[in-house]
Amino acid sequence: MIEYTWLIPFVPMLCFVLIGIFGQKTPEKGGYIAIAGAAISFALSGIIALEYLTGPDYPNVVVDSICWFHIGDLQLNLGYYVDGLTCMMMLFSSFISTLIFVYSVGYMGDQGGRKKRYYAEVSMFLSGMLGLIVSSNFLEMFIFWEVMGLCSYLLIGFWSFRHPEGDAASSNAASAAKKAFLVTRFGDVCLMGGLFVLLGAFGSLDFVDLFNPVNIQNVNPDTLTLGMLLCFGGVIGKSAQFPLHDWLPDAMAGPTTVSSLIHAATMVKAGVYLVARGFPLFVQNPDVMLFVGLIGGFTAFFTATMALNNMNIKRVLAYSTLSQLGYMILSLGAGGYLFALGMDSGNAALMAAGTAGFVAGCFHMMNHAFFKALLFMCSGSVIHAVGTEDMRLMGGLRKQMPITSITMLLGSLSIAGFPFFSGFWSKDLVIEAAFEAGDHNVLFMVLWVLAIVTAFMTAFYMFRMWFMTFMGEKGKNTLHAAEHGHGESPKSMTAPLCILAVFAVVSGFFIMFGLDGMLSFTELPGGFFQVGGGHSEGFEYFSELFTNPYTYLTIVLALVGIYIAYLMYAKKKINPGRFNREGESVLYKVLTKRWGFPDLYNQLSWKLGYGIARGVDYVDRQVVDGTVNGLSGAVVGGGEAVSRVQTGDVHDYSSVVLLGIAVLAVLFIVIAKIMGGI
Amino acid sequence: MDFPILSLLILVPMIGAVLTLVMGGGRQKSAKYVAAAFSAVTLVLALFVLFNSDSFSSMSESYEWIKTDFVSISFSLAVDGLSILMVFLTALLVFLVVVFSAEAEEVETDRPNYFHTLLLAMEVGLMGVYMASDYFLFYVMWEVTLIPMYFMISWYGGPRRHYAAIKFFIYTHVASLVMLIGIFAMGFKAAEVTGVVDFSFASIATVMHGVEEGFQALVFALLFFGFAVKMPAVPFHTWLPDAHTEAPTGGSVLLAGVMLKMGSYGIIRICLEALPLGASYWQWVIIAIGLVSIVYGAYACIAQKDLKKMVAFSSISHMGMVMLGIGCLSDAGITFAVFQMFAHGLITAILFMVCGMTGHKVGTREIPLLGGLAGKMPVYATFMMFAFMASLGLPGLVGFWGEFPVIFAFYEFIVANDMLWLLLFCMLSLMLTAGYYLWAMQRTLFGPETTKIDLSHAHDVSKTEFAAMAVLCVLVAFFGMWPDAALQFIEPYTDGLIDILGVI
Repeated sequence: MIEYTWLIPFVPMLCFVLIGIFGQKTPEKGGYIAIAGAAISFALSGIIALEYLTGPDYPNVVVDSICWFHIGDLQLNLGYYVDGLTCMMMLFSSFISTLIFVYSVGYMGDQGGRKKRYYAEVSMFLSGMLGLIVSSNFLEMFIFWEVMGLCSYLLIGFWSFRHPEGDAASSNAASAAKKAFLVTRFGDVCLMGGLFVLLGAFGSLDFVDLFNPVNIQNVNPDTLTLGMLLCFGGVIGKSAQFPLHDWLPDAMAGPTTVSSLIHAATMVKAGVYLVARGFPLFVQNPDVMLFVGLIGGFTAFFTATMALNNMNIKRVLAYSTLSQLGYMILSLGAGGYLFALGMDSGNAALMAAGTAGFVAGCFHMMNHAFFKALLFMCSGSVIHAVGTEDMRLMGGLRKQMPITSITMLLGSLSIAGFPFFSGFWSKDLVIEAAFEAGDHNVLFMVLWVLAIVTAFMTAFYMFRMWFMTFMGEKGKNTLHAAEHGHGESPKSMTAPLCILAVFAVVSGFFIMFGLDGMLSFTELPGGFFQVGGGHSEGFEYFSELFTNPYTYLTIVLALVGIYIAYLMYAKKKINPGRFNREGESVLYKVLTKRWGFPDLYNQLSWKLGYGIARGVDYVDRQVVDGTVNGLSGAVVGGGEAVSRVQTGDVHDYSSVVLLGIAVLAVLFIVIAKIMGGI
Repeated sequence: MDFPILSLLILVPMIGAVLTLVMGGGRQKSAKYVAAAFSAVTLVLALFVLFNSDSFSSMSESYEWIKTDFVSISFSLAVDGLSILMVFLTALLVFLVVVFSAEAEEVETDRPNYFHTLLLAMEVGLMGVYMASDYFLFYVMWEVTLIPMYFMISWYGGPRRHYAAIKFFIYTHVASLVMLIGIFAMGFKAAEVTGVVDFSFASIATVMHGVEEGFQALVFALLFFGFAVKMPAVPFHTWLPDAHTEAPTGGSVLLAGVMLKMGSYGIIRICLEALPLGASYWQWVIIAIGLVSIVYGAYACIAQKDLKKMVAFSSISHMGMVMLGIGCLSDAGITFAVFQMFAHGLITAILFMVCGMTGHKVGTREIPLLGGLAGKMPVYATFMMFAFMASLGLPGLVGFWGEFPVIFAFYEFIVANDMLWLLLFCMLSLMLTAGYYLWAMQRTLFGPETTKIDLSHAHDVSKTEFAAMAVLCVLVAFFGMWPDAALQFIEPYTDGLIDILGVI
């Protein structure tokens, strides 16, 4: 079956075409086709993963490719690349997408004929992600990477015209889509530069060639460093890391299901996946990994601050995604740093610690996918019922929406790192990785502190959100919804919530059953790298975590965060206004303005783009074209002729005819001269 | 081959042109069917040539034209990997323009048969340019393309059409005269060696390869100027935005789709093939002009208010990419420069069709006046989005393969010369390209429906317009996913060309 891996991205792409052609005539405007496609992809992923993991090849990578075309002497291929990481990625990505598509049937039910466009685009989106996951080279990966960029553009801008809430929302959706595309495009251009460097240095973009120790030895280390830093630029864009993070909150203008897809199953995970996939190259230089870790750790902290006072339920979730992505990148950075040091010094213990960091990052990526998909779909369910995203207008929804409130509570506990929920396991491993790296570089110690503080903030803002939405007094829209009998969402929406809630609770335990072995990144004798086939610690994680004093620190901080949120927003014993002078404090305003980043982007693009463009345009009309017109004027005979021409006042074609005759005359003379002998 | 298929490629549209010319009076309206038939036959012939790439060499034809003791000029035609794509593109676009314009008002109202005459006459010239293997024929055909385009702009164009048409004519004509001097210089130089002024490509190239660098550089400069104006390269580009703004949709499609390629085709076919030393002498100038065109064109796009003018400037930027690829003088660079010519031809045809529709369906092309068109004209919006995405180099569509490999070829060149920072210009241009297209889309298609103009008469794409654009979109996707379909023609050609350049 494994030779049919290419079918995994192909099926959703086929669905895209089918929906595009026949969607209007099928029930749900192609919704069932999209669901079937995603489900088939999931089934295929399951079969292939099972076959691979239990087959004789494991843990060796299975790779196959065909020649696509040549650039000069260089060959570009199309193919698939299956190892432990691929298996995990394609499984959770297709699984969550299937659930999101099912949920969409209820959530997008009232969109009429436009559903066709929606389902076609989400199918292509999924195809892009799955294609990226199974790619066997960087170029193929880049193509799917950009396909996802296009789909996110289209889907974020889904309501860019005729939004149910009118014109302002339409403009917002249009500019949010543009911002998402352009900001990620900035990263993509960096990534493209990285690909040039790698292609130039290695003469190939196939992973098997790039990860070959002989080839790596032959490449100038500085060139490789430059290439990997540029590639990481792409990650910063796609995975919304500081300073290119600001597109993600705006992307909330799209339908909630799209947010769920972007944040959980596709798009932003692509960047993290790229770091994990390119790990053998990233670890060649510890400084690159230090940079990766710094960006990730700072992003985790920095973006969490903006969630603290946001009133929009989806925005809070968006900031939490940014923060969690920061964790993943931090973990990969810290792990890679240790691994790189270990490789330099031949220290096996360091390399094992690095592997643990790698596992933690990937593990957190999977857990995050489950709980973030759940949280977004819950928020969608709430928005569906109350018709607003402003949490101040909600409140007291717990009784009205029992399933949504409970599943969302489970998701929130998970992301907050409540003991034994999935987020708890992976987040603790991430923090531990940063701590381990802190032994070797004090900067990682700083990042560790930031990560701990972030864990506290996460618990606080998630429960602030939950309490504001479901507890306390009933808000304006809650009452309004109750009057109109808008209660719990339909089954097509709550069923995926329940399934995901189960995973959000238990997916952390996967690591006890061999997930860490499947994801372990190791260097084999001879310098080759391998993902999978490592030692599984199984239930030793229990004893390891609970003998570590810092675990209790994070648990306590998470609990304190939840408790403070409880006092502030459920019990109302503490007035949050006391801390921000009722929204008048400087920090509060800065946070509301998102640390000035939207303004910064605007200013930069306005000055570097439009400002220079105006200058170029002026020069073009006045100087370049002016010279041409002036020259022709001087030749033709003064300004009069030119102005006559310019005003379009020439009714006869005399000048043209004359010129033509002159040319012909010259030609004839020349030919005659030639023929008559010079 | 005994069957003179290449001559037929010129003859068929010529007969069509004559027939439509004499279809006056009541038969004016049916001229489009005649034009469609003749351009369709030409397209079939072109496809036949395309699918018989094994027998390219046996297809070439040569007829004696002027022969004296001193001069030998022949009517000789040939196709190879470089020209066949352009021949195919020409035949395709002329046919699609006829289909596209079948219901266009600008054509319906004013002497419709002449419009088709001009289209077919242009096809004659373009086919001639791309198939000629004799300098004299090449030049004559080059001039033949000019005149129909002049009349196309000045009869069917916008309000400032006379200015634009005359500017187009004079500017490009001056350039072709300079080119002519270059051609004569080569001819006479060759005559010094062989004793006969023989204008065939092969005989002149043979002599030129042995000529010293100084002469090659001089002639290269003359020819290059002629071609650079046609491409057009900054700073010789200012005729293009004016011509496009005023030209009718069909004219713009052909102008940007295939006429601009005459310039880059000439650079490769004549400058590189005949004057390899000149090429290496001017290499940095070619690269500089290419880079400046790319960035300058992209910046100018951002400032444009007229949608069609923006697309016109984007052509300058994209043709700069062709120039850059040629400037690398490497296998990869030239191969993908040719690919970019082909890709740009397909994409820009859709772009100009879309812009033309904006003009005559909505009533204005001023971007600030537009907005929210996607709700009113969804099919139109889809085509526009597709074309913009293809043009900004979305992987999976044909535009990406004209961009990524060319920049890579350039990267290899600058690494070898230790000038890595030049890559920043390419990166900047990629960013700007995405910027102006997305900004334009946001302002025309999305957001609330505009109230500044009356949209009540705006209607969506008609059947013939849909058909023409759909064919192009399918090709854009097809060659995007399978670039080898076009590369298989180009690669053998560039292998040969690199051997010539390797003489350097």
